[in-house]
Amino acid sequence: MAAELTSIKLNPESHLILDQPLLRLPHELARRNFKTVQRVVEREKEYVLPALKEAANASLSNTHTPDQTLAALDAMISRMQGLKRKMQSLQEEEKKIQTQSRKRIQHLEALYNIPSLADVKYDQWSRVRLDRLLVDHMLRSGYSESAKQLAKERDIEGLVDLEVFTQCQRVVESLHRGETKEALQWCGENKAALKKSQHNLEFELRLQQYIEMVRTQDPSKKIDAINHARKYLVSNQDPDSKEIQRAAGMLVFAQDTRAEPYKTFFSHDRWKFLSDLFIQTHHELLSLPSQPLLHIALSAGLSALKTPLCHSAYTSSSSNSQSTTTSVCPICSTELNELARRMPYAHHSKSYVEGDPIVLPNGRVYGKARLLDISKNVGSVESGKVKDPTTGEVFDESEMKKVYIM
Amino acid sequence: MDLVEKEHDRLLKRVRTSQGINNVQATIDLLQSARDTIAADPNQAAVTLAKLQNPVKASFNAINDSLKETHGGLNKYTKSLDKIFKDRPLPSTEHDALSEQEHLINRAIAMHLLREGQFSVAATFLSEIAEKKALMQHCESSSSASPEPASLLNLDEVPSHEIRKEFASMYYILSQMKERKNLLPAIEWSRENREALEARGSNLEFELCRLQFVWLYHGESENPGGNHVPGNWRAATAYAKREFHTFLPRYLREVQQLMGAMAFCPNLQGSPYSAIFNNSSAWDDVAQFFTREFCSLLGLSADSPLYIATTAGAIALPTLLKLQTIMKAKRTEWTSDNELPVEIPLPPSYLFHSIFVCPVSKEQATDENPPMMMPCGHVIAEESLKRLSKGSRFKCPYCPNESHMKDARKVFL
Repeated sequence: MAAELTSIKLNPESHLILDQPLLRLPHELARRNFKTVQRVVEREKEYVLPALKEAANASLSNTHTPDQTLAALDAMISRMQGLKRKMQSLQEEEKKIQTQSRKRIQHLEALYNIPSLADVKYDQWSRVRLDRLLVDHMLRSGYSESAKQLAKERDIEGLVDLEVFTQCQRVVESLHRGETKEALQWCGENKAALKKSQHNLEFELRLQQYIEMVRTQDPSKKIDAINHARKYLVSNQDPDSKEIQRAAGMLVFAQDTRAEPYKTFFSHDRWKFLSDLFIQTHHELLSLPSQPLLHIALSAGLSALKTPLCHSAYTSSSSNSQSTTTSVCPICSTELNELARRMPYAHHSKSYVEGDPIVLPNGRVYGKARLLDISKNVGSVESGKVKDPTTGEVFDESEMKKVYIM
Repeated sequence: MDLVEKEHDRLLKRVRTSQGINNVQATIDLLQSARDTIAADPNQAAVTLAKLQNPVKASFNAINDSLKETHGGLNKYTKSLDKIFKDRPLPSTEHDALSEQEHLINRAIAMHLLREGQFSVAATFLSEIAEKKALMQHCESSSSASPEPASLLNLDEVPSHEIRKEFASMYYILSQMKERKNLLPAIEWSRENREALEARGSNLEFELCRLQFVWLYHGESENPGGNHVPGNWRAATAYAKREFHTFLPRYLREVQQLMGAMAFCPNLQGSPYSAIFNNSSAWDDVAQFFTREFCSLLGLSADSPLYIATTAGAIALPTLLKLQTIMKAKRTEWTSDNELPVEIPLPPSYLFHSIFVCPVSKEQATDENPPMMMPCGHVIAEESLKRLSKGSRFKCPYCPNESHMKDARKVFL
């Protein structure tokens, strides 16, 4: 009994493992937003203060006409007004992010008020979580329309990050098409944060541009390529590095070369590599887990539920679709059966069987009360007989034999 | 969580006060008034500009101060998040066995959506999968490399058309039942599948008809203007006469109860049968019962397996994570691939199968090592049995009985 009580106790703190990105992601966005504010303020400050000083000096020494002074002041005012507009729109953005975070905190908070896993409220909460995980999985796999629709129908748009993933997906698709522009633009927007990243996404993108120029084998393009390399590649990397040397070496090879590493350089698979690298960098920057949360939850859940009987050659007596008193085990159900095949099964240290188990002459074990109940409800069985709900065989009640399972 | 909420409250308040923008506006005002003064009297230019230096600098400092405050708030919030999620990283991503089986996951999701009655989402989802598949095939045919086995892509990854139709009809029946209190489609379905239901020992059809009888009884009287009769027993008894005779052999007692209750009309409340007629959860129970039977006839579990599995997963994760950290710290590896090393405390409702753990070897029974019952009725696993008997007569580990290996019988749990 004590074990049963602990197993339905809900510990919210540890239960929130899967829900970290729910708060982390908007927070990263808010921080990014804040950095942008800081940057624009800094930029205006660096313009306005010296300009003001200069204007003052100029009018002291009378080198400026009053009109020029006024023009200088006007320029400052309009810059400041531009700053205000920018800050306002950034603040709107921040407000949106923080209101969303608020909703998410409330959603998680609800878990703290649910006492047990058997509570109906937990069931509802968990269903919302499943919907969130489904949307997350769909977004990551690029099924944005389905994700949008599901989020809308379930009214969880505030709890999922449609926009972030749609943007990410747009860049990924552009990379698949062989375009670097959008990815580079993203790099530009996140320059500061990218400096800490261990992946050199921007370098790889520039290198790809270089490769595409070399690929043409057009001499003038090759000159462009060399200029491009000087401008973007060498400045980013140690000029003696292996990558730069290889890039330079590429110039003498054509794209049908079989020599490595140039073959890999020219390969179209490099675009796939770039899009994967982009996704990895993007998720890291926003502290998103690299694999869909649904996968994490599912692989844990499949193992926790799986028993050796789920993929057994024999039909299980305790859970099958043949009788109305048992429900089909979710792992045995066709949806998940194949998926769970290679998963480990759960560990149990105690047997768990129905109360008052009996065995029939065919070796099948049932709870006595349940078997009698089924036999009573099956119209075709005369009294004094029992019907095996799994095999359909009929036996005399006296043939039931007590079995002891420790 | 309280701390997170508190810090977030502060952030939200700060956003609302929009201190930074006010400071910017103050700077603009300073500049603007200086401009006005100069425009009015150009001779004042030098003095005004000189006077302007310090206030503008100060107001920029004020902007920066408010930014710093916001920054501090953000950092405090970060810390509160770290605190709540600390030592609880997501499981390592070293081996994501599921990502290779994307198509199976997608199939499970599509089935889940259909189960939940989200037909339009399911349709969009399936068409997006098909689109992506077509695109991938296109890419593969255009690039010579990576000859992926075509069979993998052609695996039956979408639920068949029939399944979709089945779920659509299930949803039709359920919505009729729940929204319009119309049991007739459900009764019709149970009649069509009477044989299969009976073989399962299911009394769904009778339950449905009984509820229909109760519903008719509670229904509006056909001539409300006439004598005041609470309940429409005429319609109910007419229904009983028409329908109940088929149930008589099996449900004689239940039918007798229903008919007996009619004798108490109109004072059913005071009768011993009032429970049958005033059961508030009857409709939900029947709907649940119907769903279970419907899914079982399709060989599917009643509740969405995806839902149960992810919920179980969320319950299991803390334990599994702890295990992962311990194994990493001790640099050990779990030797058996096919069994988890720890027991996961799931609520009893998540146990579906009987479980047999051999009391001698403490191992779970498998197809290779099935449970064997000795003539005394005690059960141990086959391997333990072999080890104990060594080919000759042996004593049961639990009772004084002696038996021989060949007397033991395999049992199925």
